[in-house]
Parts: sequence; C-alpha cells; structure tokens
Amino acid sequence: MKSSSPPSPPKLFSHLYIERGVLEHPQTQRIRAKFADSQVILIDHYKEVFNRPAQSFAAQSGSKKLILARKEGKFLHEGSQYSDGFGTEQFFYASSVMGCLYDCDYCYLQGLYPSANTVLFVNLEDAFEQLRPYLGKDTLVATSYDTDTMAIESLTHQTLRWLEFAVEHEHLHLEIRTKSANFKALKNTTPSPRVTLAWTLSPQEIINTYEHATPSIEKRLNAAEEAIAAGWNVRLCIDPVIYTENFDILYPKLIETIFATIDPNAIEHLTLGSFRMSQNHLRALKKLRRSDVAFYPYSVSDEMATYPEAIETYILETLMAKAHQYLPKERIRTWQRQL
Amino acid sequence: MIYFITALDAEARPICEHYCLKRDRSLPFTLYRNDAMVLLVCGMGKTNALMAVSALMGWRIPKEEDILINIGICGAPSDYLIGEALLIHQIIDEDRHYYPDILFTHSLRETSIRCVGTPQSTLCDYPVDMESSGVFQAASRFCKLHQMAYVKIVSDHCTPESVTKEGVIALLHAHVNMLDSLISSLKAIPKPTLLFSAGERDEIEILKDHFTKSQSDALEDALTYFRLKHKDKPLSLNLHIPNSKRERSLLLEKLISSLTA
Repeated sequence: MKSSSPPSPPKLFSHLYIERGVLEHPQTQRIRAKFADSQVILIDHYKEVFNRPAQSFAAQSGSKKLILARKEGKFLHEGSQYSDGFGTEQFFYASSVMGCLYDCDYCYLQGLYPSANTVLFVNLEDAFEQLRPYLGKDTLVATSYDTDTMAIESLTHQTLRWLEFAVEHEHLHLEIRTKSANFKALKNTTPSPRVTLAWTLSPQEIINTYEHATPSIEKRLNAAEEAIAAGWNVRLCIDPVIYTENFDILYPKLIETIFATIDPNAIEHLTLGSFRMSQNHLRALKKLRRSDVAFYPYSVSDEMATYPEAIETYILETLMAKAHQYLPKERIRTWQRQL
Repeated sequence: MIYFITALDAEARPICEHYCLKRDRSLPFTLYRNDAMVLLVCGMGKTNALMAVSALMGWRIPKEEDILINIGICGAPSDYLIGEALLIHQIIDEDRHYYPDILFTHSLRETSIRCVGTPQSTLCDYPVDMESSGVFQAASRFCKLHQMAYVKIVSDHCTPESVTKEGVIALLHAHVNMLDSLISSLKAIPKPTLLFSAGERDEIEILKDHFTKSQSDALEDALTYFRLKHKDKPLSLNLHIPNSKRERSLLLEKLISSLTA
C-alpha cells in the first residue's frame, strides 16, 4: 500500500500582501519579480493583515508571508537600555522591517508582534531623510534591531542602501548585527571604518534547541572570518547567553571554538550578555508556550527580567575569565543590569 | 471536529452523502453530523451566516485541532470557469477586509471575494458571494485564522437566474473529493501539543490549591519550564503539604528550584 506523506508547508513568502500605495515603488516591483509565483493580495494598510486578531504566531512561523508597506511614522528610535550604544553621542535603531526570518525562542519579537509574518517598509529613503538632521555629530544606528537584515538582504538590499548612505555622512556609524552566513551579499562593497558587522554566536547545542532556522556556528564563524579578511570591522557577540545545565561546558567551549577560527586581534570587541527581556514581552512570550526560556524563574525589577543576580554574575565572570585568555579586558564588553 | 458551513441545502447534500452525515436537531438551524464532522446550513446572507455560525460555535466550541470549511457557490467575472473551485484569501465586505491564513499547500486557484447583500446581476472585479464575511466574523471569535478555509465554486458569471438546485448539487458533487485533500492539508498544519496529560493536570490543580495566586502562578511557570525542557521526564508531584504557611512557602521554593535546576 502506498503511504502518503503529510503535505509540505507552502514555500517562504507564498503570499505577498501589498499596500496599494506602494504597488509602483521600485522595491515592490523588484520583490514582486523575485516572487513571481507568489499570490499577490492588495491591501489598504499593513495593519489589516499584520495586526489581525486570532493569528497563531506558532502556526505562522512555519509558513511566513511577506507584507510590503510604507512606513508612515518614525523609522528611527532611541537605543534602549537593553543594548549597548558603544559610547557614541547619539544612538538610534532603525525599524525598517518588522518580524524576522529566524525563529529564536528567546526573541522579544515574539512578544512584541501579533504575527510571525514579515513587514518590509519599502520607503527606506524616508529613514535617511529622518536621520539627516542628526548627522552633525557622531551617531550610531543599529540597522538590525527589530529583525536580522542580513538574513533577508538578498530580498531587501537595505543593508547595501545603508552602506551607501553611510559613505556620504562622516558622522554616521552603523552596527549591522546578524546570525546570517550571508556575507556574500556585501562581498562587492568597500568596507567602511565606520561600519561594524556584528555576529551573534551561540554554542551549536543552543542553536539546535533555541535558534530555529538559523545558520550553524561554523557557518557564522566562516562568514565573520570572510568579513575580517575583506577588511570589515567585526564584533562578536555571545549575547544572549542562555543559562542551561551545561553552561559551564558549552559556553567556554564556544569561546575556544571562536578563537580557533578567528584571530582575536582581528576583532573590534567581544560582547557578552546574559538573557534579559522586558516583563511585558516576557508575559507575551509565555502565552505562546513554545520554549522553556520563557518560563525560567527570572528576577524582575524595574519591569526587566534577568537571571537572578548571582547567576548573571556567574555567567559574566565565567565568560569574562575565559575570553580574557584571548583578549584584553578593554576589548570585552558586557551587558549587565545597572543597579 | 470538522465544521462545514454552507448557505443552501443543495450545497450541503453532496457533502452529507460523501461523509454519511445524518440530520441533527440540536439547534434551530439545519444541521447534519457524524462523529467527526458537523455541517451547518446557515441560510443565505451575511446576517443569517453570522447568527447560525455563532450559535454552532457557541454550542460546540472549536478546539485548536478543529477546522472550519465554508463551501458554496459564487458568481464570478467571466475569466473564471464555471465549476472552478476557488480558495479565498481575502474577503471584501464594503470597506472591511478579512484574511484567512492559508498555511498549507493546495492546487486551487486563490482569489479575493466580495461579500455582497443581494445576488449580483452585474459583473464585479472579483467573485461574489453572500455569506463569507458573516461566517468569518463569527468563526474568527472561536477559531484561529489558519483553522478556516473558504472554498467557493463558480456557478455563474453574475447571472443568478441561471442557477438551479440541480446545478448546485452537481457543482458541489464534482468537488467533494477535493474536500478530502483540503481537510488533510488543514490538519497537517502543526498544532500546539498539550504539555500535561489530563491526570497530570488534575494533580497540578490539586497542588496549586495549597498556595496563593502568585505562588501557584510561579509553580505553573516552573512546571511548564520543566516539561518544555525535559519532554519525556515524568512529573513527581506526590508531596506532603505541611499545615504551616511558612513551611508551605519553603516547600514551594524547593520545588521550583528543583524543577528549574
């Protein structure tokens, strides 16, 4: 008897929801051509799809759709207390994409958005206009804050557009943070001393358990190595650290693996930070009941959930000591709650 | 449970025959059932659909594994073939738009549909029906958007006077086998699994009764952490509960530590 296998989920972006107002935008036309087989559904406003009640984030994660829209308000937001502004005078993050191709159990986006679909704001030129008034002094913009822009660079070309913009503005610094192995998207671009490519790294066991649909540690390290060889500033981030029963083995081994591949003198910084999340996002994450990360008995103060202080300190001290075998302390940055 | 919603008896008949559904008189609407399926004939129009589907869903509240299929005939522009089955990805009801989530592969033609108040004799930009928005509005109060599918079979090119009862039965009859594959595709969408068995849940609830609301919330979180982290490990909740409030708090603290260690 023939056994029938279960039907496969639709391909990525099987449906394109497009705001009527951006139908003629060059970005929209390019993306439509790239997804010529996808269903196109015209909409008035992205929120009528992205913000629908009764969506299932978990079910949608296996079959993400793409929404093309115009950002009407602010593209730029002040950097939050959960991230490092590296001492620049002004620190913003740009929100040009909502949702992420990767599906990390600990990601605050699951608590932030009602949908696992991706909204791409095609009018990035408006972000540049909004940024211009600030560019009289040193300004850092994190372009990958609400998404992993490099993961969808071949679709959006947004990173390339940011890099082109940065070339023209000497006070603009960019941080492009990623888990992607897609360095080839930048291969033909001249490295800029004001741009840092930052790779988030985790032990392979953590990737397997919590970072679904992301490249392996080996691929990420190879991409970082390629970027260094091409002359880019590279920062490596072991952040967020997920505290597990094998923490003592997994994370020190990760640092050994990293520096067996990457020359410690070739990186700008190593960033260390344990898991933290706003209490509101954590509550929303719990509702999804997808991962143990959401249910750890965190210590909550000022609406921020972190590991209890003793564990947080232990994580950072352990990793700091290990990292210090390869790097001087001034090139190791840590995120810790400000008491 | 699979919920079928049709507007007309003629649309229901081929489905009832295919799945051996029998008349059921539990509600003041026309219902047919077997052990796994229920078919509701809601009557024509958005208001009838809204009322009947609300009544059905309130009577048999859908679970996460249940699915709903609204199937029936529609009028369509002339570039749609008579007899063609359409899967609806957007329902337009004047200035309101509704979007079922299509998270499965299928071989049907997808389209938007306009849900209108009366049979249409003039060609529109999209196919037209009279119930989909009512079904959607009621059902989306009870189901997630990916649990629903809206299938419309083109009966005419906006010549409603040409539609006959026999013609409708024949159109639906031609597509009943398609329903089998649609059901299996909808069922294949991954669903959240229950973390605790019924027995475990009973034990958990009994244990939680010994603690304050915030303590029992913390316990629930720790138990969920344990089960998500160690999917195959059994829970051991056979505890002696002390009478003293202080000792109970200490016991809880120890239990949470061991569950989240």
